[in-house]
Amino acid sequence: MDDLEQQLRNALAHVEQPPTLEAKVFAALARARSTSRPSRFVFWRFEAAAVAAMLLLAAVSWAGHEREIRERAAGEAAKARLQLALKITVTELSKIQQTVRTSSEQE
Amino acid sequence: MRPAVPVAPYCSLEMLTEAKAEPQAKTACKPVSEIAFAEALRANQSMVFSLAYHFLRDRGAAEEVAQDVFMQLYRKLDELASPRHVVFWLRKTTSHRCIDYARRRGAQSTIALEETREPSAAQQRGDPLLNRRLRQLLATLAEKPRMVMILRYQEDLTPDEIAELLEMPVRTVKSHLHRSLAILREKIERSIGDIR
Repeated sequence: MDDLEQQLRNALAHVEQPPTLEAKVFAALARARSTSRPSRFVFWRFEAAAVAAMLLLAAVSWAGHEREIRERAAGEAAKARLQLALKITVTELSKIQQTVRTSSEQE
Repeated sequence: MRPAVPVAPYCSLEMLTEAKAEPQAKTACKPVSEIAFAEALRANQSMVFSLAYHFLRDRGAAEEVAQDVFMQLYRKLDELASPRHVVFWLRKTTSHRCIDYARRRGAQSTIALEETREPSAAQQRGDPLLNRRLRQLLATLAEKPRMVMILRYQEDLTPDEIAELLEMPVRTVKSHLHRSLAILREKIERSIGDIR
């Protein structure tokens, strides 16, 4: 071993690690553990959000269905009114025709 | 091989992180895997940090690499049979991490070598100015030869051991050592000549 090799050994002696290294490693491990395992509270929150979303979806579809039934009923009522009006008109026209025919026969 | 650092009693990670609030909690419980991890960390942190620091010449980067390596060790510890395996694995992983880190950092050298603050060595031997100059010259070598030199002269590893760690042929390791020593010798003689 020559002089340079000995000098290199001296130059590359172990240095002291930062005093915070150990604490940082343990803190990082604790963080990694807490993020990899979701807490029960987080799980409950997720479940509650899912239930709320399902309820909202059901309410929206129910409201749509109700609106469709109402619109159909209104359409049926309008159709019935129109049919009644046509019937009245036909009856009135028949009466007028009858009257006209009677008067023309008398003349 | 350097002597292991004496080990203090350990407890769980949560308790260690909360130990500031309740110092007496430190002695309460001792899960086996965490004791082994804490022992490995305490015994090897100086070696891992020194490898990274001598290679990267940047205290923050060396601390970051050391932290990553120990995080990886925590996940891997069950597969490592003995403290010798742990040391081998730590040297190997740190070497590869450092080389990757330096390559990622690439040409954009973050700090000038002259400006780096030197951490205190456990026992400073030899001429401090010459030591500093040698470390600076070492930093000018390419990544693989630099790591070969650090493993040889920091960790006292043989060319065979270095070859196994860095997964390269032994003759390549010997060639890196031979050429790097020649380069350093020439540069150091030139800089001494400049001083005269």
